[in-house]
Amino acid sequence: MPTVNSTGDCQPEADCASTSSKGIASFSHVKMQEPVLGDTSVMPPPVRTSVVNPAANIRHMRRIIAEDPEWSLAIVPHLTELCLQYIIINFEKKPILNHLLPEHKKRVLDRISTGLPLSVTANLISDEGYWKRCCTERWTVCDVSCYGGSWKQMFFERHLENILKYFVPNVTDPDRILDVIPLCKDYVRKLEIDQFLPPVKLDEKKEEEDLSDSGSDVEIDELSMHHYDIGGLIVALPHLEELNLSYGVKDCGMNFEWKLFNFTSKDCSNLAKGLKKCQSLKVFKLTRSKVDDDKARLLIRNLLDHPCLVELDFSHNLIGDRGARAIGKLMNHSRLEILTLCNNQIRPPGAQAIAHALAKNATLISLNLRLNCIEDEGGQAIGHALLSNSSLRSINLAGNELSEPTATLFSLVLAQNTALTSINLSCNHIGLDGGKQLLEGMSDNKTMSEFDLRLAEVGQESEYLINQTLRANQEIARLKTLQQSNSPQEKLP
Amino acid sequence: MSRAEASAEAEPQQVAKPSRRAPSVGAGDAEERVAARRLRIAARQEAKRREALGEDPDAKKAEEEEQSRSHKQIEESRQRLAKLLLDGMQLVTNIQVAADARETQRRTEEAELKRQRLEKLDNEAKTNQDKFDEITSKWDSAREKIIPQDLWEVLNQQQQQCALLIEEKNKLIGELQQELKNKDEQYTKDLKKQSDDINLLLERMEEQIRNLTKTYRRELMQIEKAFELERRELLTNNRRKWEQAMQTHNAQELEYLISRMKKVEEHEKQLNQLRGQDAREFSALKIQLENDVQILEQQLQQMKAIYQLNQEKLEYNFQVLKKRDEENTIIKSQQKRKLNRLYDVLNNLRMKLARQIKQFQEENQNLTADYKRIVEQYRDVQKTMRQFATINTQKFLELWLMNEEEAKGLMRKVLDADRIIHTQQLGLLWSEPSYWFLNNMGPIIQKGNRTATALAQEALEESNQPKAEDTEEAEDKERPLQHISLKTVKKILELLCDESGFLIESKMLSLLQPLDRNERTLMTLDSVFMALDIDSEADVYRLVDYFLKFKAQQDASSQGKEKTVEKDEDACEEIDGEVAKEEDGSTAPEEKGKALLPSAALLSSVCLHPDDILKALKAFVQDLHKLREKQPLGRRLLDGRDTSTDSGYWDNLAHIISAQKLKLWDALEAALEKYYNILTQRLKLLMKNSSLQQQNAELHLLLQQYCTSQMNDKLLIPPTQLMELSPP
Repeated sequence: MPTVNSTGDCQPEADCASTSSKGIASFSHVKMQEPVLGDTSVMPPPVRTSVVNPAANIRHMRRIIAEDPEWSLAIVPHLTELCLQYIIINFEKKPILNHLLPEHKKRVLDRISTGLPLSVTANLISDEGYWKRCCTERWTVCDVSCYGGSWKQMFFERHLENILKYFVPNVTDPDRILDVIPLCKDYVRKLEIDQFLPPVKLDEKKEEEDLSDSGSDVEIDELSMHHYDIGGLIVALPHLEELNLSYGVKDCGMNFEWKLFNFTSKDCSNLAKGLKKCQSLKVFKLTRSKVDDDKARLLIRNLLDHPCLVELDFSHNLIGDRGARAIGKLMNHSRLEILTLCNNQIRPPGAQAIAHALAKNATLISLNLRLNCIEDEGGQAIGHALLSNSSLRSINLAGNELSEPTATLFSLVLAQNTALTSINLSCNHIGLDGGKQLLEGMSDNKTMSEFDLRLAEVGQESEYLINQTLRANQEIARLKTLQQSNSPQEKLP
Repeated sequence: MSRAEASAEAEPQQVAKPSRRAPSVGAGDAEERVAARRLRIAARQEAKRREALGEDPDAKKAEEEEQSRSHKQIEESRQRLAKLLLDGMQLVTNIQVAADARETQRRTEEAELKRQRLEKLDNEAKTNQDKFDEITSKWDSAREKIIPQDLWEVLNQQQQQCALLIEEKNKLIGELQQELKNKDEQYTKDLKKQSDDINLLLERMEEQIRNLTKTYRRELMQIEKAFELERRELLTNNRRKWEQAMQTHNAQELEYLISRMKKVEEHEKQLNQLRGQDAREFSALKIQLENDVQILEQQLQQMKAIYQLNQEKLEYNFQVLKKRDEENTIIKSQQKRKLNRLYDVLNNLRMKLARQIKQFQEENQNLTADYKRIVEQYRDVQKTMRQFATINTQKFLELWLMNEEEAKGLMRKVLDADRIIHTQQLGLLWSEPSYWFLNNMGPIIQKGNRTATALAQEALEESNQPKAEDTEEAEDKERPLQHISLKTVKKILELLCDESGFLIESKMLSLLQPLDRNERTLMTLDSVFMALDIDSEADVYRLVDYFLKFKAQQDASSQGKEKTVEKDEDACEEIDGEVAKEEDGSTAPEEKGKALLPSAALLSSVCLHPDDILKALKAFVQDLHKLREKQPLGRRLLDGRDTSTDSGYWDNLAHIISAQKLKLWDALEAALEKYYNILTQRLKLLMKNSSLQQQNAELHLLLQQYCTSQMNDKLLIPPTQLMELSPP
């Protein structure tokens, strides 16, 4: 059984013999990465003694060097120059920055090492240039627009994410996270963690487990397979707004094990506790984490009446009807605007519960129930709800085993509801008649701009006609937005 | 004719020419102006009509078309791009949708298969349960079997059935495992499919991006092209218009030029005509004007002369006035300054005055205080001085007595020595010299210091007992001033005594009543003198003298009066009466008095009327006071003694032995000295003699002693022998 041990080596086992060398390489690659990336916070800062110009000898021959803005003809540098040099070299011991003149400050910031310990720099330096250098030196791909345009925020968020991603319970020192929290708590607004490593077992136990059958294994493992307690962390971050989690291991390759992807009840309760206390959270995503009904209910119970939660994403989980019922309750006990439940196991009763909530809701804008199994009963319930709802703009019911009855109801919705702009009914069995009914409903509609009916067996003719009306509607919408943007200008003359 | 002139001439022609063709509003002719206005109104109406018909909108439409060409292009591009975008999006999402569809299909299939499998398993379980039940039921029957063969058979059968059951189960397991394997394979296929899908997705996305960028670029280029085309068209259109306008403009310009030239020529001709005419008129006018000018010039000269004269006069006046004004201003300023200065001085003086007043007041106070103090001091000093004077006089007396005693002692000694010398040495008879000063004791006192009362007493007593003549003489000597006889004095004093009874206290009078008349008079005089502050003899004499003088004066005045009123005899009689009265008055007191001296009135021819005495007394008292003030009291006291005789007195005392006698004394002294010297020599010689006699006696005694002593025998050579050998 190939698991991570304390030394970080891959243990060659009976099962492991069959694994390909690529798998080992990829997994060991993951292991190898950890110390390298983790080191950045602990790594002793390399002291840069002086900026040595490799081409200095050649440059001595020249009187003027236009390409180097810092070059000067003076043989003895200015005292300020020397002082700045000294400050730059000894910045770790004596961080003098705020007393300098702006120009000097800029020069110091341009030249101090990016490897300085965060304890020195985190709260002292607010200059974006320095953090930009830190980011670009550490990561090759840096899109600052994903981080609110702030390089510092980007640095700290990614730094914290890195630590969490490669945190191994019982092995990694928890102080590493605790040390970082006070430094980065003011800057982290979004956490996106797409892997949680499971705890490592001792060698002997591993052997025993290997020998024994997998059935008994799971229960034993269940106790010791808890991941890092993220709840404690999010409580410590006062400005956290977006939390994006997925309990699982990436790039495991042929070392795949089901238990690497276990979202245990302890994890769930920890997370739920943290969510309850994190009042600033706006976006919460928990995907690909095997969240079943009980866990979903636990989480949702703690999210009820949350002051600012706007978006909730439980896609690619195992939520069933009970979970859906809980979500329906949550819809009317919060300010949710975007709800994503794609690829779950919601069946007609769950869909009915959601539809019941939707009929009374006035905040939800987007609802995604893609790849569920709500069938006609659920679809009809949702259609009825949409007749009374006037806030929902976008609904996705792709791949839900819907058929003609739902289509007839939706044609009514198309004729009556003016808030909806986007409907997705693709991958359903709507049939030719259903398509015609939808076309009828669509003929009177002037607001719908997206209506996906691909692979819905509606027939090419009706699909084409619907697309025509859609295009016309899009044009109307475009002109309306243009007018709205122009109207203040036109009013002036 | 120059070109400029030509152009100037052409100007009006140009204006005139269009007016002929099209009437202008600014033309001179009224009809023409009306016509021009009409034309203008018509043109306006025409333009309005044209506008209404849509000539201008046509232009607008063209403009819109031109504009919309680029817009159309943009719109087209946008639509094309939107379509492309939509298509691309669909193309990309198709994969997802397909995958979803597959997934749903798979799910349904899976559900179906699951159901079938479950059914199959249920069936299997049921049949196998039946079989198992059958087998278990057979165990009981087998237990009943006793025969081993049967038992074996049954057991065998059971075993076979069990084997069958197990086989069936194994088969099922095998089937399921087969199914699992299939599923695994399908999973790997699905994985592969998924990766293919993802690859396809990526490919399509990239292709889409490429397509999109390409189309965007193309569309952009097309849009740019469209804009450029539009611009070029616009440019050509505008240029054409511009050229047309230029051509028309040029033609118009040419026309204008030609008409202008014509006008210029015409004007030139007119100008020439006008010039000739004007030249003639000008010459005539010129001559006339020149004459006028000459006359006017003459007048001007005259006027100028007058003007100059006046100017000079005025200037002179002006200068004078200016000067005066300046002087005035100077004086004014000076006066002002002076005024200011005087004001200052006045103020200063006022201040000074106030200050001085204050100062003097203070000074005055100080001085009054000083004065009081000094008066006090003065009084003190006077007092002390009087004291000192008395003390001095006393001391003087004592000193005098002491010195006199001493001098007298010495004198007596000298006289004794003189007597001895005369009697003993010279054997002459010595008579004691007698000088007045030898008997004198105390200081030489002058008679003038006698008191007034004493004088009065003397005067009163004079009648009773005649005085010794020598004293009278002595008095006369002492008082050369007093030429008044004692009788007159007495008379006056008696008169005074009688008249001035008011000066004496009433008590005194009563006391004096029983006394002798003389004494009474004396006492009354004493008290009167006291009241009048007369204490010395001199004062008494002065009083008498004053009375006499006063009398003489009165007589003189009465005589003067008589002279002035000589004619009036009545007045004389009256005076005579008065005199008689006076005589009566003077006799009356005499009669009233004891009339001891009836001849008194006769004696004093100059007798005072008792009524006048008071006036005289009053005047005298005033004079006396004045006199007293002039002469301080102290000096009078000090000057009381005359020191002139003192030195003579003392000299007399000193030279009691005359110079002759002194010479005699000197000669006697010298002789006696010589005598004394001889006597002393003699004494010395006597003394020597006696001493030598004594020495000799002593030496005799010593020699005898030596000779007689036993020591001589003991000696080898006795001195006695030697003495004998060598006799002296």
